[in-house]
Amino acid sequence: MATTTAPPAAATGQPSGRLRSRLRTRTRRNLLTLIAVYGLMLLVAVIVIFPIYWMFSISLKLPREIYRLPALIPQNPTWDNYRELINERGYLTNIRNSIIVASSVTVVSLLISSFAAYSIVRFRYRFRGFVGRLILLTYLTPGSLLFIPLSIIVARLNLGNSLYGLVILYLTFSIPLSTWLLSGYFRSVPPDLEEQAMVDGTTQLGALFRILIPLSLPGLAAVGIFTFTAAWNELLFALIFITSEDLRTVPLGLQYLITGDVLLWGPIMAGAVLAALPVMVLYFLAQRFMVQGMTAGSVKG
Amino acid sequence: MSLLANQEAPRVARTSRLTLANRQALTGYLLVVPALALLLALVAYPFFFAISISFTDRVVGQPGNWIGLDNFRYLSQNPSFLKTIQNTIIMVVVSDILKLFIGLGLAMLLNQAVRGRGLMRAVILLPWAMPGFVAFLVWKLLYMPIGGAFNQILTKTNIYPEIIDYLGQRSTALPAVILATTWRGFPFWAISFLAALQGVPGELYEAAKVDGASSWQRFWDITLPSIKPVILIVVLMSSIWTANSFENIWIMTQGGPSDATMVFPVLAYFGMQSQRLGEAAAVSVAMIPALLILVFFVTWLVEDDD
Repeated sequence: MATTTAPPAAATGQPSGRLRSRLRTRTRRNLLTLIAVYGLMLLVAVIVIFPIYWMFSISLKLPREIYRLPALIPQNPTWDNYRELINERGYLTNIRNSIIVASSVTVVSLLISSFAAYSIVRFRYRFRGFVGRLILLTYLTPGSLLFIPLSIIVARLNLGNSLYGLVILYLTFSIPLSTWLLSGYFRSVPPDLEEQAMVDGTTQLGALFRILIPLSLPGLAAVGIFTFTAAWNELLFALIFITSEDLRTVPLGLQYLITGDVLLWGPIMAGAVLAALPVMVLYFLAQRFMVQGMTAGSVKG
Repeated sequence: MSLLANQEAPRVARTSRLTLANRQALTGYLLVVPALALLLALVAYPFFFAISISFTDRVVGQPGNWIGLDNFRYLSQNPSFLKTIQNTIIMVVVSDILKLFIGLGLAMLLNQAVRGRGLMRAVILLPWAMPGFVAFLVWKLLYMPIGGAFNQILTKTNIYPEIIDYLGQRSTALPAVILATTWRGFPFWAISFLAALQGVPGELYEAAKVDGASSWQRFWDITLPSIKPVILIVVLMSSIWTANSFENIWIMTQGGPSDATMVFPVLAYFGMQSQRLGEAAAVSVAMIPALLILVFFVTWLVEDDD
């Protein structure tokens, strides 16, 4: 607003009295709005950042310091909590298990979902609408409805207490979401290029791998990161289906730290930091594409 | 070479046009089969399996007998279960309302042309970017009576000198859990609304301004209707997630104290741990009607809107 009216005033050098007073009230109002806007932003930033700061701060504190006031800044920051977590609680095993599970889920899910999304977006067949709706419905079906029957099915299939079984179970939530999001991306790519390639003799699968997937790479990366994160964060299925200590994933490892009688907040927060850092970094790399994909998928799907 | 191809072309085209459509359909089916098979086997089948288990007295290791509605009759007289329904409704409604106001407000704030909104956008994504179990672990620590930040701050500044065990007493446990859940969930709302707001054409506002519409009128007549589909979808999905969230309750309170924060997934999990699968399944299945209504009501609204 101010920028559109300012240049003529500056150009004439001597603005008329009316214009000047109008400008003055406008800047005063703008200033008030600005203060309100930044005040609100600051408040929100504090509310968001404080718990995260607290997590870092406690992870660097020795037990006796955790309970001492004033508490905002660690007096003698130490890596002891991290050391204990890794050396005595086998946290590296949890991290390794989580990396194996999450990356396997991501690769398998991206492949299967690309096929499914390609089929839904580019092919004409009778049950296409039904398939699309089924994928949306399965996405909306919460895992908490399924874990009891799944426990029976998993036992029957001998998939219990294995990372391999966990990967298959995680596909139940990753495939619907990935397919949904990828459909949005694929739909935004004009089909002309694929058609051209097929006229030139490429097969339909070739068109997917050589044209559509390269063109949707940012979207694919975002969906991949989102899938990885979801698998990395999952607690319920891991809690139910993993019974051996050496197969525990990160959320499970931390979960067992809080079920003890004494809560070792130092190591717990150190574990929380290590669990949060990789996915938060990934998330920020992907967030731009994520928001686009989310809305593209939700409006068109 | 090219001459030959030209002569051949019409005949080939005619015979393959029919098969082309079929082949196309076949390829389409083949591409979707892996996803479809997995979802049918591990989502659709378990869904109906859960319903059928809920009508039996199945325990771990024994298929059990058909007992009709007995599980549901038992649950309907169980105070824990009634408390679970009440908690879930309060949690969904209160956190939805909080997230709606915070999300809309923040989205409109960040939709202004102010410096630093890019940074702010990144900042408010933080709670959503961190793993849920981490967020709830941190909040559990914040709420602790000894060593918890809230108690330390309140007692140190003398705002409230007494120690409060937020998660440990019935009166504060549910609000505390809702607050943490809202903290973790609002970024998704704000960012979705912001993306929707940025899709509203600016000319609409200019035109309304020329017509002398107040900022309230502009919000009510332009902003809200334009982003209504996104609002509805976000409300729907978030309600489903909140009603079914396991980790927030499991990590902070495990449903306690007694059943002050009990929710369906945790109750079902306890049921499963006590080996009574029929009863546990009935807990989950009891939620299906509400879920279905939620899903169909909002999809209907969205389709109606188009």
